[in-house]
Amino acid sequence: MYVKLNGLIYSAVIILAMLLFSKLVSSPFLTLSLVLATIYMGLAMAWDFSSGLTGYINFGVSFFFGIGAFLTGFLSFVHHIPIGLTILADLALGISTGALFSVPTLRLRGPFFTLLSLLLPYIASSFILSFWTVLGLPTIGYYNIGRLAPSTFDELVLVSLFDLIILATLYALYRSHFGLVLRSIRDDEEAALNLGIRTFRYKALAFSIAAGVMAAMGGAYSSVSTFAGIDAFGLTFLLFPMLIAIVGGVKRILGSVPASYLVIVLSQYLNLYIGSATLVVFATLAIALVLITQPMFLQTFLRRRIKFE
Amino acid sequence: MTMLLSVKDITKSWGGNRVLDRISFEMKADTIGLVGPNGAGKSTLLNIIAGIIRADRGEVYISGRNVTALSAQQLVRIGLTKTNQIPRPFRTLTVRENLEVFSGLRGRADVESILHMTGLYEYRDIYPQALPFGHLKRLELAKALACNPGIVLLDEPLGGLSSNEAKTLIKTLKDIRKSGVSMIVVEHRLWELFSLVDEVVALDRGKKIFQGTPEQFQADRAVAEAYIGGTEG
Repeated sequence: MYVKLNGLIYSAVIILAMLLFSKLVSSPFLTLSLVLATIYMGLAMAWDFSSGLTGYINFGVSFFFGIGAFLTGFLSFVHHIPIGLTILADLALGISTGALFSVPTLRLRGPFFTLLSLLLPYIASSFILSFWTVLGLPTIGYYNIGRLAPSTFDELVLVSLFDLIILATLYALYRSHFGLVLRSIRDDEEAALNLGIRTFRYKALAFSIAAGVMAAMGGAYSSVSTFAGIDAFGLTFLLFPMLIAIVGGVKRILGSVPASYLVIVLSQYLNLYIGSATLVVFATLAIALVLITQPMFLQTFLRRRIKFE
Repeated sequence: MTMLLSVKDITKSWGGNRVLDRISFEMKADTIGLVGPNGAGKSTLLNIIAGIIRADRGEVYISGRNVTALSAQQLVRIGLTKTNQIPRPFRTLTVRENLEVFSGLRGRADVESILHMTGLYEYRDIYPQALPFGHLKRLELAKALACNPGIVLLDEPLGGLSSNEAKTLIKTLKDIRKSGVSMIVVEHRLWELFSLVDEVVALDRGKKIFQGTPEQFQADRAVAEAYIGGTEG
């Protein structure tokens, strides 16, 4: 069967189908796994938008995710601000922090940006550890954070809607002149510079938008888990989004949608059945998958039946 | 109005080696050839004019305005672009997208017309890796035209082309000249170049040794000695 569908519509259909699937199966574990998958989906799309399109590899995903989680924790726990508003505040914090970090680092070429971005989560987690130690508080982080919605399924609906907005926005930018410039930067930044493109502005804007999405996803995560702890700055929130983007097909944005469900739900169930060995098994599977099928795996596979536009 | 360019006392050294020594010239025609043996400093001069590298001393003027301190990005916005000797297409963008990237930098470029003019229209939706070398050279030119330039600096546009391809490209360059775009062309293939340009500037080991018409160039003894290693009789 050959079906011609717009890639964006196709991705939206997958998200809605997963909502329906969760409703029909009605398994709390599956619903929670899908919530996590939708949170990672946002992170992966944001990472692919800034790093996949420009070629500037950003290892600071968990920094922006962590500051979003902590800001939501602070605003919700201390000031009892509704979660919807705290996520908007996370978005603003992520964008402004991303812009602040871009100014000195994105002027650097080569691996320097990547190395500096790698330091960010370590600096932030060290700062938070010191801060809590000075205050002498027993638990590092915020707990009893307000929930996004009364039930896990409602949370899945809300995060899925948020993902749809992110997906439509990032995909529109990807298809616009802005996206063309980002792709030209990845191909040959010097050639673009010499023909008049002010590449720094484009890179900084892409990076800041991505940082905003990452922080908002951090806020959503802390609300779903009702806790914002130091683990929000952990490697998990860097490695999984990158893996999802690679499995889905780097530079495509849309590939992150099916890939996030596949990777996260699979890792959640592996964790359920084989416990701490999950990471080893999952990492081996992921490496094998990428090595054997190449980074275009999922999209290439799906193209056999469905034509993307 | 045709944009004209002049350079005054351009000097540049690399690691103590003077590669350009007080080069001055003024474009009197809208298309000039910049020639000289290998190592004469032609490409370095072109890169200095384009704002890609800085001269140690000297000034560059476009239509009387001193543009020495401007960056490549600023120069593109006032109408000066440069093509690369070896084509550098954006490989993940189609031919059309390669042009659209630059559209809007200096007014909206007519991408369709540029594709037609450079003979790339039928290849507009394919990726550059599928293009033969001659078409990549054309794409390099088309990218420069997409910036809506007043002056284009062409670094060896005929390099690596067959004589038929070169002839077609010369015809395209003549059409571009007719549309009001000035050109400075660095080229080793003199006979083809002379059919395009009205004026020639010759460099040898960083010094200007000649400026005049192609006919005067062919009759100049000093040029012949420096450029092709002496003349008979």
